[in-house]
Amino acid sequence: MLELRKDLFADERDDNLKEIGKGTQRQDMLGHVTGTSPYFDDHKLQGMLHLKVVRSEHSHARLRRVDTSEAERSQGVRRIIRGSDVPHNLNTLLSLINFGKDDEPSLAVDKVRYKGEPIVAIVADSPREAFEAIAKVKIDYEPLPAVFDVEDALKPGAPVVNEVYPKNTFTYHETYDRQQLRFGDVDRALASADHVLEQRYQMSPIEHAPTETNGSIAAPDTNGRYIVYTSTQALFFSVDTCAKILDVPSNTFHFIGGTVGGGFGGKVDTLTEPLCILGAMLTGRPVRYVFGREEEMQYGPPRGAERIYIKDGVMRDGRVVARKVRAYFDSGAYTRLSSYAAVKCAAHLPGPYTIPNVYGDIYCVFTNRTPATAMRGFGVTAMDFAIECQMDKLAHLVGMDPMEFRILNSYRDGDMKAHRREAKNTALIECVQVAAEKAKWPLRDEFKRMSSRKDGGGIRAAVTLTPRETHAPPAAALQQRTTYDRAPAATREPPPPPSPPPPSSPPTPRPNAPAHGAARFSSVFGTRRR
Amino acid sequence: MPVTVKTFTSTNEAAAALSSDRSARYLGGGTLVMRALNEGDISISTVVRASDHALTRIDTGGSRITLGAGVTYARILADRDLGFLHAPARSIGGPAVRNMGTVGGNLFAPNPYGDFTVAMLALDAVVSVQGGLGSREVPIEEFLQSRDRQAGTLVLAISFAKPGNAEAFRYRKIARIKPKGGAVITLAAYLPVNGSRIVGARVALGSMAPTPIRARAAERALEGRSLDASTIDAAAAAAVEGTSPSDSAIASAWYRREIVSVHLKRLLSGQE
Repeated sequence: MLELRKDLFADERDDNLKEIGKGTQRQDMLGHVTGTSPYFDDHKLQGMLHLKVVRSEHSHARLRRVDTSEAERSQGVRRIIRGSDVPHNLNTLLSLINFGKDDEPSLAVDKVRYKGEPIVAIVADSPREAFEAIAKVKIDYEPLPAVFDVEDALKPGAPVVNEVYPKNTFTYHETYDRQQLRFGDVDRALASADHVLEQRYQMSPIEHAPTETNGSIAAPDTNGRYIVYTSTQALFFSVDTCAKILDVPSNTFHFIGGTVGGGFGGKVDTLTEPLCILGAMLTGRPVRYVFGREEEMQYGPPRGAERIYIKDGVMRDGRVVARKVRAYFDSGAYTRLSSYAAVKCAAHLPGPYTIPNVYGDIYCVFTNRTPATAMRGFGVTAMDFAIECQMDKLAHLVGMDPMEFRILNSYRDGDMKAHRREAKNTALIECVQVAAEKAKWPLRDEFKRMSSRKDGGGIRAAVTLTPRETHAPPAAALQQRTTYDRAPAATREPPPPPSPPPPSSPPTPRPNAPAHGAARFSSVFGTRRR
Repeated sequence: MPVTVKTFTSTNEAAAALSSDRSARYLGGGTLVMRALNEGDISISTVVRASDHALTRIDTGGSRITLGAGVTYARILADRDLGFLHAPARSIGGPAVRNMGTVGGNLFAPNPYGDFTVAMLALDAVVSVQGGLGSREVPIEEFLQSRDRQAGTLVLAISFAKPGNAEAFRYRKIARIKPKGGAVITLAAYLPVNGSRIVGARVALGSMAPTPIRARAAERALEGRSLDASTIDAAAAAAVEGTSPSDSAIASAWYRREIVSVHLKRLLSGQE
């Protein structure tokens, strides 16, 4: 049962709210329990055709020749679609918010970069006839060396997965091969710490395994428009992605969502809609493209694998004084949303703790694995797992109770976070106290008395002196524009030099508006409402 | 070419249709064949069904138990006389699969499925098949060894001697998702006791080879002995002998080899 501790959070929530804490019927529940919820696949349109794709058998190979002549003559085949039929056969999802370069074709042209990458689409009268035609497509592959490990992919001489990113890493801010966080002098703090603990953590990809597989049905409508029934969990995102790939205005489409039969992040990639609509455009008939279960499991994007190294410095009294993190996100062969996961990960460091010296290098790495995408808190979940394992180990190392150890290091109101923003509305101490109470876990009185509202700020609000690093000036092409640099690149100012107040100074005022001056937009780089 | 469904009232006709067409598959509960069709398996063009009631008969009257090939796991779970088979029946799929899946189809289920067949192998079952020349009885081991070539034969029933007491039959399935995931490994043992000694021990393993196999070395370690700690240790130590597991998404061959003795020991000593 939801319990809001009014003793701790008296002004956090309006007592007159009518819904929170009450058993309210979900609006979609009646449809679910009576089997009447509408799904995209409930539409059986007259003359509907079926689209299936030919998928790569290799993880990394050049396509020497693709022969579809026999498949074209196969019974029931209406149309074979190749990469050259796709108006804009290169896209990256977050290009809609100017983040990242176009790197992924709808249908592979010269090369395949992961096992299962679509090469040819076949539109036929029935799924069966599409499958029979697939068996008649002849593809001559020239296998290339493949790389499946994030650290191997960064070694000199590693196979280049995606020529758009020749170093196998996503490019941040037109310059960096990683997302970086620098706060204080982590190396000096590690050198003077009483204990140093370095650990390696690894998470495997996780499949969303929705009950309903990815799919869509597109049908020609009047006035040259197309109705699209889709399983997408990001309807307007999918509309704009299709408009870009098919090179038409977005009002060409009338997208109709319905019940998403399980999304969890696995239905934002707009995997079926572009080819489905293109099939309808090329045949003038309704076209249905639905993943089979094996396609969903094997080639639908998972939560990406992550490898994380954490090196912490801790003092005998239990204060964590330094945290140095190196993390590698396995994006698979294409970016999809992993670039954003790395940004989120860097923004999450060093976890909900006040640590005066933090250093983060977060890489978004390309490998010949199935492209990864969003899934419930991606970018943060694996890092949190690593950080909390690390916190337990550190507590053990200094001989402290793990609950008390967390209370000691928790953010408090007024503390300076590693991103040079003041911590507000913090409540980890109270959460740990309540968890301990519920679990009948003994805490010493001094830890029971601690509060997120007390003893924050002051020296804990200091921005510690951060050594400058030398690096090459930005030289990448303008095409990769981010929300950080809406202004023309030429006028972009270098980052302001650090101006650390002396450690004993009073809390610094909240940082001024960001230097780029642009209004922050989107959930990618959005600021939290204060 | 569209898929043709042919339904026959007699098993003779169904068997003839099956053996005369290489692209024909027999549809029992559909948990294997429909999955293949839905996933685009174009090697199947004809689906053969038979409505003969003999296929769904359960006979527990005599000293031998006979299960028609079309008997579902749900039917077994509803039958009190088959209590010793409830553990293997319950270990397969969820309720929907148990309502449709049949013991005949299970004989063809590839790894990591086919748990019920492991139980049948431990019970020294005999498979009745209808070939072109009439029906014949095939020992289950022989049937499994030639399973790849059996697609054109129709399984009618499976039968086995009723265990002397329920304690003599033991079953254990190791799965990542409990209770219904695909098997890491499956173990079944039939240990009839004469006096205090085991006579006619049979130990069967699933997912330790391309088809369910007998752990003959473990059987030898059990034969003629009482089921004490040293016998159990000897059998467990011999469990991996003669196995050839594969790597799969569920477990590596190495892992399967490592755990088979651990779980055989638990099975024999009655540990949970």
